[in-house]
Amino acid sequence: MKIKQIAAYCMCIFLMGSFVSNADTMVTPPDGFGKRPLTMIVPFGSGGGSDQLARAMAKAMGEVAGLDFQVVNKPGGGGTSAIPDFMLAPADGYTVLEHIDNAISAYAAGDISENPAVDWIPLCMTQITFSQIYIRGDEDRFTDWASFEAHAKANPGAVSMANLGKIGSMELVVMDQLQSALGIEINQIAYDKPAERYGALIGGHVDVLFEQPGDVRSFLDSGEMKPILTIFGERPSVFADVPTHQEVGADFEALTRFRGFYVKNGVPDEIVAFLSDACAAGFNTDDYQEFNRSKYMHLIDSFRDTEGSIALINDAVKTYQEMYKILGIGN
Amino acid sequence: MEHFIIGTWMLFGDLEALFIFVLGLLGGMFFGAIPGVNMLTLGAVILPFTISMEPTHAVMLYSVIYCSGVFGGAITAILFNIPGAPENAPTCFDGYPMTVKGMAGKAIGAAVCCSAIGGVCSALLMMSATGPIANWAIRAFGSQEIFALIFFGLAVSASIGSANLWKGWLSVFAGLLLATIGTDPVGGIPRFSEWSILNWEYKSYYLSAGLHFIPMILGFFAVSEVLVQATAISSGMRQRMKASMEFPSIVEFWKVRYTMVRSIFIGFFAGILPGIGATLAAFLGYSQAQKWSSRKANFGKGEMEGVVASETANNAATGAAMIPLLALGLPGGALTAMILGIFQIHGMEPGPLIFKNSNDLVWITFAAMFWANLLIVMLGWIQTKTVVHVLRIPFRYLAPIILLLATVGAYALRNLMIDVWIMFFAGILGYFMRSTGYSPAGIILGLILGNLGESAFSKSMQLMNYDFLGFFSRPISGILLALGGLAIISSIWTEIKTSRSPQSAIKRTDN
Repeated sequence: MKIKQIAAYCMCIFLMGSFVSNADTMVTPPDGFGKRPLTMIVPFGSGGGSDQLARAMAKAMGEVAGLDFQVVNKPGGGGTSAIPDFMLAPADGYTVLEHIDNAISAYAAGDISENPAVDWIPLCMTQITFSQIYIRGDEDRFTDWASFEAHAKANPGAVSMANLGKIGSMELVVMDQLQSALGIEINQIAYDKPAERYGALIGGHVDVLFEQPGDVRSFLDSGEMKPILTIFGERPSVFADVPTHQEVGADFEALTRFRGFYVKNGVPDEIVAFLSDACAAGFNTDDYQEFNRSKYMHLIDSFRDTEGSIALINDAVKTYQEMYKILGIGN
Repeated sequence: MEHFIIGTWMLFGDLEALFIFVLGLLGGMFFGAIPGVNMLTLGAVILPFTISMEPTHAVMLYSVIYCSGVFGGAITAILFNIPGAPENAPTCFDGYPMTVKGMAGKAIGAAVCCSAIGGVCSALLMMSATGPIANWAIRAFGSQEIFALIFFGLAVSASIGSANLWKGWLSVFAGLLLATIGTDPVGGIPRFSEWSILNWEYKSYYLSAGLHFIPMILGFFAVSEVLVQATAISSGMRQRMKASMEFPSIVEFWKVRYTMVRSIFIGFFAGILPGIGATLAAFLGYSQAQKWSSRKANFGKGEMEGVVASETANNAATGAAMIPLLALGLPGGALTAMILGIFQIHGMEPGPLIFKNSNDLVWITFAAMFWANLLIVMLGWIQTKTVVHVLRIPFRYLAPIILLLATVGAYALRNLMIDVWIMFFAGILGYFMRSTGYSPAGIILGLILGNLGESAFSKSMQLMNYDFLGFFSRPISGILLALGGLAIISSIWTEIKTSRSPQSAIKRTDN
C-alpha cells in the first residue's frame, strides 16, 4: 500500500506542477468535483500503447482542467480483467476507464455483458487509426499488393501472415472480409505478443504482417518493413503510394482501431459534460497533439466526442455482429 | 572501445547521470533483496517519473535496475529460500541449505561474484556485436526452434529440486496444467475461467487473464517457507541459523571455473532469444552443472557450485536480453517491455536505427550495465557483511513482515486482489508439496515454460500446416528435440537403475 501511495503522491505533485504552468485554457469543474485525485484504469500493462495514451491524456486533462489522475494498470484477458473493478467503483465520475475497440468486439461476441455505448458513457475517443499489410523491406518475391496477390493466388494457403489470434478480433474479421472479397487464402498465424509478430516478419518466418502504422513506425522508418495495402476508405497522405482495399477490389467498410475514455452509466450529467469537455480540450493541447503525431494518429480524424463515440461504437457493434453471424462466432 | 569510453565518461562525468545510476543500482538491489517485492514492482512505481527524465537517463536507469535486481533476488533466495524472481529459483536449491549450514556469507559471496562475472561477460559480448547477434537470432530462431529449446530445457531440468525423478516430472506437469488456465494463445478460447455446475454458473474475467507466475512464486516460496518455519518453531525443532560472514576464496572459485564458463554461454544464449530469458537460463545452468560436476551427490545439500551455476547464468542473460530490445525493438520479458515503453513515452523506438540516431543512449546504457555489474561485487561484499545479520532477527518478527511484503508484492503486480488469494492458496499447497518431496520450483518452471511453450508450439503447428514432422526438417529444432528425448530416456534409465540398487533398498527400509 505504501508504495502505491508514494507513487500516487508523486504523480499528483508531478501533475500539479504541469497544470499550474498552463492555467490560461482551463475548463471549470462543477462545484466540488475534482478536489481529490481521479483514478484512471488502464486494462493493459505499464509502458504499452494504452498506458502511454492514458498517461498522456491524464497529463493533458491535468493541464486544462486541473485534474489529478492516478493511473492504475490492470492488465489481462485482452482487456477484460479490468472491467469488474471498473463496474464496482461508484458512479461518481472519479473512476475513468481507458479502453480500446476490443471491448466492443468482446461485447458483440458475448464475452462481456457490458455494452460500452449503454452501460458506460464514452467521454471521448482520442486515437482512431487504420490497419495496413506489411512486407519486409528486402522482400523480392513480391514488392507491392498486385504482385503479392498474384503470389498468394499461385500458392493458396502457403502464404502466411502474422496476426492476432483472438477469434472475432478486429484483425481477424478484417482479414476474413478481405480474403473472401478477393478470393485469396492466407494462412493466419496467431501471435499473442506484438514483439513476436514483428520479429516473425523481420526474421523471415512469415510472409506478411497485419498491423497499424503507429505500432511499427520504427520499422517503417528504418526500411525494414513497408506497407503494401491500406485498409481504409481513402489514402492517407503519408502513404499516398499505397493502394486501399477498396481500390484493389474489396468492397467493405473497414473497421478501425480506436482508443478512448469512459465513465460508468449513472455518473451525473454535469460531471460527464465537464469530463468530456476536459478531454476535448486536452486533445487540443500541444503536448497531446505531439504525442498523437508520434503515433501516426494525425493521419486521419482521430477525435470523437461523446455523441460521435456512441455512433462509432454502435456502427462497430453492428458490423461485428453481422460478421459474427456469417462466421458463426458467439451467441 | 572508443564508444565505451565515451559512454563511461557520459555516465561518470555527468552528476545527474551518476546520481540516477547509483539510485538504480541501490534501488534494484534493495527491491530485489526484500522478500515479496521485486524489480518489477520498482519499475512500475517509478515509471511516471521517467516522463520528466531525459530519455538517456531513463533507459540507463532501467537497465541498471535490471542488472542489480536480478542479483538482489539471489539474496532472499539464499537467506530465506524465497527467490526474488523466477530466475533466482534454482539459487534456492543450494543457497538456502548453505545458510542452514551456517555458510550464508559464502553463498552470498559466490552469488555476488558470479552475478558480476556473468553480467560483465555478457555486457562485453553485447558491446562487441549487438547488431549481428540480434539479426542472427531473429532469423535462426523461429517458433519451431523456440519450442524445441523449451522442450529440451524441460527435459533436462524437470527433476531438479524434487525428491526423485517421478515427483519432479509430476511437479512440472502440474505447472504445465496450471499454465493452461486462462485464454488460449491461438483462438482466444477461455479455459477454466468459466464453467457451470448444475445451475450454478461461474465466470471470472480475472481468471481469463491466466495465472501470473509472481504470486505463485511468492506463495510457493515465501508463504510456504513461513509455514514450514512456523511448524518447526512450534514443534521446537527450529535451530537459529548462524550468521557467518565468510567470503569464498579464490581457490574455491577456481574449482568451479568450468561451471562458470558453461553458465555464461547458457545464459547468454537463452537471453538473446526473445521471451525465453533468464529463467530457463538459470534452470539449464543449474541442471547442466549438476550433470557434469564431480560433486554431483552434494547438489541440493548446500553445494556452492549450484549457486555459481544459476547466478552466473541468470545475470549473463540480462545483458543478452537487451540485444533484441535495442537492435530490433523486441522485448523479451516484463522489465524489457517496460524499457520499450520508456523509449516510446519519449517518442523514440529502439530498433536498427537507434545505433545511428541515438548512439549516445546505446553506449551510456552499455557502459552503465558494465559498471553496474562490476559494482555489484563491491556492494555485494558490503551486503555479505551486513544483510546476513537479518538472520539474527527472531523469526516470529520476521514472518509477519515477509507475509505483509509478499501480499503487497502480489497485489501491486496487476492491482488485482485475486493474485493475493492465489498467493495464499499456492502457499498452503507449497507447504504440503515440500513436506512430501515434490518441487515448487518445478511447478514454477512448468508454469512459465508452459505458457511460452504452448504459444510457440501452436504457432509452429500453424506455420507447418499441422505437420508434426516439420520440426525435424529444421536442423536446430530437430537436434534439440532429439537431445531432449534422449535426456528423458537416459534419466528414466538412471532412475530405475538406482532405485533397484542395493543401497537404495537399504534407504527404503530405513524410511
